[in-house]
Amino acid sequence: MAYVATRGGERAIEQSQRLFKAEMGEITPERVAEIRAAMPYLIDRVMGEASLYDEDLAALALAQTGGELYEAVLLLRAWRTTQPRIAVAEPVTQEGLFTHRRISAAFKDIPGGQVLGPTMDYAHRILATEVLDGQVHRPDPVEPAARPSPARQPSVAAWQAENGLLTGAVPDKTVGNDIPDVTREPLLFPAKRAHTLQSLARAETGGVLALGYAAQRGYGQAHPTVNELRLAEAEIVVTHPRGTQFSAGRVKVSQAEVVDKKGDGLRLGFAATLGWNEVKVIAAATLDLNAEGAPKGAPTEEEFFLYHTEGVESSGFCIHFKLPHYVTFQSSLDAMRDAKAQKAAKEKSPEPAE
Amino acid sequence: MTLQTLTKPWEPMSYGFLDGSAKREIRRKMIKAIAVPGCQMPYASREVPMARGWGTGGLQVSLTLVNPAMRVKVIDQGADDSVNAASIRRFIARVAGTPTTMDTLEADLIQSRHRIPEEVLREDQVLVLQVPNPEPLRPVQPNMSIARQMHADADYGRMWLQLYEQIVRSGRVMQGASYPSLVHGRHVMTPSPIPRWDVPKLHMAKHLTILSAGREKRIFAVPPFTRVEPLVFSDVPYKVEDHAGLTCHRSGTRGFFMNEIPQDDGSSVFEVSDSEWGVKAIRRRDGEEVALGETWYKNGKMPS
Repeated sequence: MAYVATRGGERAIEQSQRLFKAEMGEITPERVAEIRAAMPYLIDRVMGEASLYDEDLAALALAQTGGELYEAVLLLRAWRTTQPRIAVAEPVTQEGLFTHRRISAAFKDIPGGQVLGPTMDYAHRILATEVLDGQVHRPDPVEPAARPSPARQPSVAAWQAENGLLTGAVPDKTVGNDIPDVTREPLLFPAKRAHTLQSLARAETGGVLALGYAAQRGYGQAHPTVNELRLAEAEIVVTHPRGTQFSAGRVKVSQAEVVDKKGDGLRLGFAATLGWNEVKVIAAATLDLNAEGAPKGAPTEEEFFLYHTEGVESSGFCIHFKLPHYVTFQSSLDAMRDAKAQKAAKEKSPEPAE
Repeated sequence: MTLQTLTKPWEPMSYGFLDGSAKREIRRKMIKAIAVPGCQMPYASREVPMARGWGTGGLQVSLTLVNPAMRVKVIDQGADDSVNAASIRRFIARVAGTPTTMDTLEADLIQSRHRIPEEVLREDQVLVLQVPNPEPLRPVQPNMSIARQMHADADYGRMWLQLYEQIVRSGRVMQGASYPSLVHGRHVMTPSPIPRWDVPKLHMAKHLTILSAGREKRIFAVPPFTRVEPLVFSDVPYKVEDHAGLTCHRSGTRGFFMNEIPQDDGSSVFEVSDSEWGVKAIRRRDGEEVALGETWYKNGKMPS
């Protein structure tokens, strides 16, 4: 065949993938297990953005992509979407969460107490360079408190609602498969409440942070006070076809309530996600807080931030610009050259003045 | 009843990758799209094992339509051998067991990014166009909720104004590809970023065209024998790219949409954008017996 080597593209693809994989070497079960054990917060972030809670699959996705987060999330999402929904779990309530960490910036102390739990918030961020010199960095053992903090605690917003400071959300009675699922239906606006919270839960951490930060800095109308930040484990209770309810296991979740004064009350912003990811839920709750009444086109408007924090879509579109665009480009060039030629012709032979 | 009876034996992948519920939704949305030509139908748009913006909308439609007897052709910017076209073709063949082809005449289903082949498509062929941005109103109204309302009201005044402003500023309509077009006299759609050269091929065509935007989650369609009219003023005629007089430097074929290839000496040569048309022209020139189909454009002109 005299024309291009038509299969050349496929050979090139194959070799380019080999080149990429060569850099990472073998992917072994041990490597996957090590990633899972050593990087719980990375695993959590990926699971949250993928909206798929499976630490092994998340670790595998990270191993397979060499830690390219957008790619890892896409791998998990593409796998997740083909899986059947075999059951819908019972609603998880704030007071039912097995709580590891729960702090409030709104009050010095809160019912249930301020529970620091696991955090590096007050650590001095100094690199442990001695590890590179061959020393092992061994964490000191945790000393249990004399009195353990209660595992289950009410939400701060519930206390505020009781005291007439804010109007609590109207409980949504929708159950089971009637709950809107943004992974099975298109997102339309004004968005269903379930779609909004699900989209924020799946949103890309960096994207939510960028827009949430913009709102916090002053591009939003509301200044958030962290009413409550909670890291917890949620019991996943499902109903067996025989009718018995049982726990299918626990998943790590994080959630944030932020408030701002509105008239003589408080308005509440809320976000939750799978895995422990504090930055994401505070930023997402800030966006939720600011969404109501935000003008069209503002970064705090629901349509704006839900579209633009969708990591799989935004990253995919961004890298699609690498694809050839020569047909579209040629089409624009043609219009440009023609307009130029017309202009030149006009200047050459100016129409007689009237 | 046990959990086991509620599920099927585990398989790593469904036929055609997408699961039954995803395909059912896409079929329903395609039927709606065909029923209201040019109107954008929202759909869930599942993730597929390819990045968004890389043909995932077209791919979902193709994966829903294919069966093992369907012959599939995939092109990107007119070329079958473009890396992403090769990747999509390989994926469809791998998950659906379909035979593939590069010849437009042999294809039952053609998934394309930004071109319509030069050979006339038949009643039995389906064209699936990948769509990056399904909303023709985006340049004048980036908010999708408002744009949706404008479509409902057939409120296209700002579209017309935009075209008018281009004529005033530049002496002509400056829209390159994605030329906004009125479908069946009701909905303005973007034909996807096909060149203006290709838009007339959609008008009263024998084949079905399905346009699908994966990232933006919209499907729309041009059913067979449907009017597709580029938005033009009655005194400023529609103008396709000035390619009628160009000759392909490799195949010698003339009167089709061309790729411009810049040369070291500052000049340009051209090669035909529909790569398989070029291949077939070369093979015929070299004495092979090759079936060339009827083309939409004849001597560089689209018969009206």
